[in-house]
Amino acid sequence: TAGNKIFHFGACRVSMSTTEIRAGFTAIKANIQARDPIRTLSILSYPHSLHKVQSSDRCCITHHLFNFYVDKVFKHCKTEDSFVNRKISSIANSFLSMKRKLGQCHEQNQCTCGQESTEKYKQILANYEGLNVTSAAMKSLGELDILLDWME
Amino acid sequence: EDALLPAPQNISILSTNMKHFLTWSPVIVQGETVRYSVEFQGEYERVYANESWIPSSECCLITATECNITEDISATVAYALRVRAELGASRSQWGTLQGFFNRITTSLTPPVLKVIADGYHLLVELEDMGPAFQFRVLYWKKGQERRMQVKVVKEVSSVAHLDTMEAGADYCVKAQTYVEAINRSSSFSQTQCVRAQGDTSMWL
Repeated sequence: TAGNKIFHFGACRVSMSTTEIRAGFTAIKANIQARDPIRTLSILSYPHSLHKVQSSDRCCITHHLFNFYVDKVFKHCKTEDSFVNRKISSIANSFLSMKRKLGQCHEQNQCTCGQESTEKYKQILANYEGLNVTSAAMKSLGELDILLDWME
Repeated sequence: EDALLPAPQNISILSTNMKHFLTWSPVIVQGETVRYSVEFQGEYERVYANESWIPSSECCLITATECNITEDISATVAYALRVRAELGASRSQWGTLQGFFNRITTSLTPPVLKVIADGYHLLVELEDMGPAFQFRVLYWKKGQERRMQVKVVKEVSSVAHLDTMEAGADYCVKAQTYVEAINRSSSFSQTQCVRAQGDTSMWL
């Protein structure tokens, strides 16, 4: 079912449902990843996996990544396929909803940014800006399951 | 030519149990079949994607004056909705829903349930309301309301086993739905009570 879970990001506890995002992503994953010709590069996992982020930095990096996807990625993922576009809209609006929930932690100073998360996010931005914007956006969208797996 | 075809009026939402429908009044053109197309716009599109609109998955050039937008309303944010009339090459202006629609406002009705006493077993049969729904079932031995027990049923397969009953005793059950995506519950159903089969132990 569309399961709300309590996510623990360090001191921050947020009740969110990623089931609908995952269902939407699964429906378009093959289509999106087929548009990403550069197999040897990763936006989120280069040079280090998200799993290397310490738990104290989890909230900050998650907050950064929600902003990254909402502000930078989704808007450059328009396709000629209306089904895919609808699913991207569904994911984007769900991210907006989650971003707002996580923002509450940020406001309550439960989402402090350490050196590591700051460096990691800089690396992600560098990976992103190393490609042309559409390729970078499509690759980032294609890596959404990496983020979801890491979050869960 | 578009100005000849009036925009649909009386646009409203009917949303019950996470099923959402957009409805409007028909545009009448004598002797013609007018068709309608619906579009939606999530908060993301409004704020981050130049207020772009997205064609509904179900309602493009339909003749009905009602559109199932459940698939389109797939996040808990404020959605704008609009519909226009089309006749041949002629298109009306868009008629836009007044205000926004957020699925958190859907009305949740109590679940339909059937309580079964199967010998000493207390069972409950719940109506399948879709993947978004869970059920919170409360049950107790009549007269012992303070020892009420709770069972959360997440997957409605067929029948849920609640308890093993004492011979001849009356047991009562009521339930409510819970939708995790919007973190809301319905009111409780009517209470239903059944009696366990009597004591049939044989004296040897």
